[in-house]
Amino acid sequence: MESKLKRYEKIEFLGEGQFATVYKAKDVETGNIVAVKKIKLGSRIEAADGINRTALREIKILQELSHRNLIGLLDIFGHGSNVSLVFDFMDTDLEVIIKDNTIILTTANIKTYMIQTLQGLEYLHLNWILHRDLKPNNLLINGSGILKVADFGLAKLYGSPNRLNTHQVVTRWYRSPELLYGAKQYGVCVDMWAVGCILAELLLRVPFLPGESDLDQLTKIFQVLGNPTEENWPGVKTLSDYIEFKPFQPVPLKHIFTAAGDDLLDVIASMFVLDPSKRKTCTEVLKMPFFNNKPAPTINSKLPLPQNVRKLKELERPSLKRKLLDSAEGGTLSKRLFT
Amino acid sequence: MKDVIDVMELQREKNRKIQPLDYRQMDFASGFTPARFIFECGMKLQAQPLTIATAAILMHRFFKEVDSSNYDHYLIAASTLYLAGKVKDDPLKIRDIINVAHNTLHRGSGPLEIGDEYWNMRDAIVQAELLIMRVLKFEVSIVHPHKYMLHYLRTLEGWIGKEKWSNSPIARTAAAFLQDYHHDPSILDYPPQHIAIACISLALQCYGITLPLIEENEDEMWYSVFVKDLQKDKHWEIMEKIMEVYNKEPETV
Repeated sequence: MESKLKRYEKIEFLGEGQFATVYKAKDVETGNIVAVKKIKLGSRIEAADGINRTALREIKILQELSHRNLIGLLDIFGHGSNVSLVFDFMDTDLEVIIKDNTIILTTANIKTYMIQTLQGLEYLHLNWILHRDLKPNNLLINGSGILKVADFGLAKLYGSPNRLNTHQVVTRWYRSPELLYGAKQYGVCVDMWAVGCILAELLLRVPFLPGESDLDQLTKIFQVLGNPTEENWPGVKTLSDYIEFKPFQPVPLKHIFTAAGDDLLDVIASMFVLDPSKRKTCTEVLKMPFFNNKPAPTINSKLPLPQNVRKLKELERPSLKRKLLDSAEGGTLSKRLFT
Repeated sequence: MKDVIDVMELQREKNRKIQPLDYRQMDFASGFTPARFIFECGMKLQAQPLTIATAAILMHRFFKEVDSSNYDHYLIAASTLYLAGKVKDDPLKIRDIINVAHNTLHRGSGPLEIGDEYWNMRDAIVQAELLIMRVLKFEVSIVHPHKYMLHYLRTLEGWIGKEKWSNSPIARTAAAFLQDYHHDPSILDYPPQHIAIACISLALQCYGITLPLIEENEDEMWYSVFVKDLQKDKHWEIMEKIMEVYNKEPETV
């Protein structure tokens, strides 16, 4: 256990969440840069409940999964009364990219982000797992433009018909209408709604439906899509928190997303459906014409990166060269040793 | 007939009354495991069957890695229940676990007062939970035989025919064998699919049911349609292990 602590050399502090602190570290054994998430167990009161449920979910789910577009859990170790998770190191996330106004997001770029998100999520759904907390800052991106879905603290197995789930999941702006109406049984449709919101945000560069309360959130949704009725959403009135809203006229999506082509508007429309059972799944969305039409998706390494990451990469380049030189010299040295 | 397990012996003892066990008197050398304690506490806590099964497996895995004489078996058992509740998203409250475990060990005693004894137990469970996680290298996901068994039984129902099926409680008996097999650490040694098949085989033998339209021979058994990699002798071995569980059962007066 002690050796594990030494294996990961702390480089810098990255951030602090409710349950954990995250450090950038170097894996001394492989030389790789990793992110170490140290679960807080420090104080007496927290310790009395034992290992954190969120962390345990993340451990349990990520140990079973492996996909290019899902964050990789590389190692876990305990020291003292702490537990640390070691993840792939990711340079930035989609929220940073959306907010960085020096970056231009072309249709080709958006296509690449969407394909990666949907493929990661498709794999997750095929393994009967819901993410339940999709939002731009949980979609991490590394220097090579690979997007990985992260933060599985709310993820859960789905599909068991006799199991009720809480509707208090997903950050409000990305929460689907059935969750806001208190649905306790739901499926991949809640993740699909969130993906729709993320796609909209990629186009608009601001959150699409920034509700200030749960009721305001529903208002914002209906202002765009119109009200739910028994015709367009059978059974909506049976949901526990259902309430009637004043009537809104739906707004055509192309008035909102003026820059989007028809094939892209189709993709948005396939996820922004009030009735969860009519929302498309990842597999279905990926088969839509938008993803085969021109322009071709940007290749990963050509995706834009935020300024600070770009600078870092430029700084790192000479050091890489030096490393190559070092090893070249090392090579000659070892040769000399033999003579 | 050499390939027959004496299931009648079980039947004869069926009507005996089960006395509560004094766990403090139990001797672990005879093959008794804390699984019975886990099942008793788990049922009192109204935990899901899979949560209890998870706790039993975690407990067996833990004792496989360590020298069991260094640990309090019932503390570990209570901690695996607590951990299993988290693993299976089946919320078991730590205070309930402490009270149930305490009452099961000291029958007739009331709930613990919030005081030093309670806090010490709570602390011990939490510490043991972390220790279990570390000893198991944080691998707490378990593939249970239950879901395979359900699928096999569903298929058999159609195979045997509704009428014959409803005449004998094959599903219930197979499930009982599976649950009881969780008392034995050898459950860790076999793939979940094989365990499910062996439990069903035993149940079929109990009620003398043979499957229609199949000639059993050296390389073709009834279960060949479900699992391809289960050898006849392995199948036999698992069935024997399951039967042995009943021999290790402590005598209650």
